[in-house]
Amino acid sequence: MSTPVIPPPRRAADDPLLDVRDLVVRYGPVTAVDHVSFTLEAGETLALDGPSGCGKSSTVSAVLQLRRPDAGEVRFEGRELTALTERELRPLRPRMQPVFQDPYGSLSPRHRIRDAVAEPLRVQGRWDDAGGPARVAELLDRVGLEPAHGDRFPHELSGGQCQRAGIARALVSEPRLLVLDEPVSALDPSVRAGVLNLLAGLQEELGLAYLFICHDPAVVRHFADRTIEMRDGRLVAG
Amino acid sequence: MRLRARGPAGAAALTRLVCLTAVLAAVGLLPWLSGRDPALTVLRARSAEQEPTAEALDAVRRDLGLDAGPLSLLGDWLSGLLRGDLGISWVSGTDVLPSVLSGLQVSLGLMSAALGVAVLLACALVAPVLVRGRGSAGAFGAMLAAVPEFLLATVALLVCGVWLGVLPTSGWQGPEYLVLPAVALGVPAGGLLGRLVADALPAVLDERWVELWREAGVSRARVAAAALRRALPPLVPQFGMVAVGLTGGAVAVETVFAVPGIGRTALGAAKSQDLPLLQGCVLALLVLGLAAGAPAALVRRRLLGPALRDAGLTLPAPRPVRAHPAVPVALGAVLLVTIGWGLLRDPYTVDATARLLPPSWARPLGTDGLGRDVLARLGHGAATTVGTAVAVSLAGLLLALALGFLPRVAAGAADIANALPPVIVGILVAAATGPGTGGAALAVALVSWPPLSAHAAALVQEVRASAFLTAQRAIGATPWWILTRHVLPSVAGPVARHAVLRLPGVALALASLGFLGLGAQPPAPEWGLLLEESRAYVERAPWAALTPAVALALLAGLAVASAAYTQGRTVQHARRTSRRARLLRRPAPADSTAARPGSPSRSSRKEVSLDGNAT
Repeated sequence: MSTPVIPPPRRAADDPLLDVRDLVVRYGPVTAVDHVSFTLEAGETLALDGPSGCGKSSTVSAVLQLRRPDAGEVRFEGRELTALTERELRPLRPRMQPVFQDPYGSLSPRHRIRDAVAEPLRVQGRWDDAGGPARVAELLDRVGLEPAHGDRFPHELSGGQCQRAGIARALVSEPRLLVLDEPVSALDPSVRAGVLNLLAGLQEELGLAYLFICHDPAVVRHFADRTIEMRDGRLVAG
Repeated sequence: MRLRARGPAGAAALTRLVCLTAVLAAVGLLPWLSGRDPALTVLRARSAEQEPTAEALDAVRRDLGLDAGPLSLLGDWLSGLLRGDLGISWVSGTDVLPSVLSGLQVSLGLMSAALGVAVLLACALVAPVLVRGRGSAGAFGAMLAAVPEFLLATVALLVCGVWLGVLPTSGWQGPEYLVLPAVALGVPAGGLLGRLVADALPAVLDERWVELWREAGVSRARVAAAALRRALPPLVPQFGMVAVGLTGGAVAVETVFAVPGIGRTALGAAKSQDLPLLQGCVLALLVLGLAAGAPAALVRRRLLGPALRDAGLTLPAPRPVRAHPAVPVALGAVLLVTIGWGLLRDPYTVDATARLLPPSWARPLGTDGLGRDVLARLGHGAATTVGTAVAVSLAGLLLALALGFLPRVAAGAADIANALPPVIVGILVAAATGPGTGGAALAVALVSWPPLSAHAAALVQEVRASAFLTAQRAIGATPWWILTRHVLPSVAGPVARHAVLRLPGVALALASLGFLGLGAQPPAPEWGLLLEESRAYVERAPWAALTPAVALALLAGLAVASAAYTQGRTVQHARRTSRRARLLRRPAPADSTAARPGSPSRSSRKEVSLDGNAT
């Protein structure tokens, strides 16, 4: 089954938002990601599909520079990331945010939801006592959480609510790219649609680009503008 | 990164080597480290008549090679060591090697007898578990393992030697002289051995193959033998702890029963500043402790064969000893009331008219040989001992938190620290700095951190592996922010609680150094020192000796009960979290709390195996 690759609509005349070229990630003798290249435009959704162990997660952590790639280029907003030091990278990190598969594991079990969502503001030095709480409340409301949820701990929320809190935490950094690593696969089927609709609405409203790892063909078809498929660390023609 | 590539074994081996070299260098440099001028001591010891003139003292210094500087001192000692020459005693002027060898001979005899007692006791503890097929773990063994040798030796001396008068209590002239020292030395070791096995057996007997064998009609004896063979190999490395406990305990037991073994020789040498003799003795004790690990490794290899290489045989986690929280609370309350009462009284006033009085209303626990109030001394002694123990635990906690981030470095150092009994480190420190509370505290701090650091390392690893730390880097958090806001808060709390629960064990170790005269000095009312002082007139005033003995036994009970309490709570907590996880997360994701039950219970296993070392 091969769907024809639709060329992405060019939204701007200049560089794409994300341009990955010949990305290589090795774990000892094993090459997990083998010369993978793709681009992503602003506001676009690119689905990354493939069987488990094919290197999808290694690809996204290399894109996010959470694990430095062994070779290749990751160009984000026209800037080459692989050449930057950790210190130089830190101010750029808020521009691309991950949302993880496990809604509970990605929030600290020791912090209330409100503090977890506020933490990026504090880390990035953008917190002030007047505007900060208002911004957190606004985001919690935007992702569909009650104000009372802000006072709870992650284990006191349902999986869907927790994932919404994770999305709020990613949004507070004002990113242009969200890297969604199977964001709904750990959730009940009944709450998946709600989270996906939330993501779709946010994309429209904020012009976010999504790099979206997903297994579910139905979700991919409805959600993604384009799909690329990986197998054994390489891209296969989609 | 390079360390990881070489593997954990490589880094641990390297630190182990570095630490061993450091210990050896510390022993070799003892005369220089002590920083005090031994010339006068040596001159007095050699000839009482000679005037201590400047020339005479210089001659002694030249003779001892003290003016040559540390490196040549160490070089001389090491080269002598390689030739089998341990130097000449400063006090007696004779060769050190023969004294060390004769002491070693006596001590080895004592230790083998003690090992026999230990094995018998361990069998007695394990047998009921095997016969009943299942059963509770060795709480009694834990209690025996926690009783320090010096306390047991004193009580045995009091009961058998003095009151019953059935066995000789002092000297080394025949087999009957062996009985009491061997029992005093063997019982804690046997308690440790028995408890290790008895703790592991119930979980092994719950495994499915046991049920299958029983239904197939295999005899109980064969099932029991197979279960033992299954339970023993993973425990064998921990049996090395028993050997370490024996070398440390030998110092106290030989001192109490006046056995001319190597431990007593070492202690005497430390007190008389006879450093060459001390170096020889400590070296022999260290070699003895480290060498005991070698047969343990051989036995393990023999029992396990290829399974060792494949790392395929781990024991199921032991079921916790059920200890009602009331037990530690009650023990603690009795101690606290006694101590509080004693603190209100005066521990120092000497009253020559009120010597060795029996208990009365005016003096509830009687008086000691100088007419001082025993209750008051007990109360004030607790303040010093516990205060020092708190300081030692705090230092251990900080060290453990720091080392928790360097697990590979810590593992090698922990191996060496585990192989050093606190008493021997105490002797070394006392020889270098002079006996005192500070030196005793330093000695206990040097060897009491490994269980805490293992716990911290397990927690650090668990936190680092969690997804939310990755999320921290993604929002642009600095390593400092991640460390102070996320990693340390998750690790410091549990490790601090663990440190609090180890306090009684630390206090016992301090008391054993005090008992040997390596800690607090008279007239300070330290518990170990109280017991030691009252030994001299135990026949006339047994209450003066019994009081600190009972207090120390209560402390040992508190140590065991609180350790069992943490273990039980950890497991309960894990059960609670996993139940909550099941209730809340129907599509049960693999998350960080699911990993939690394993790591703390592993570290508390480690704690169980180590606290026999605390005496």
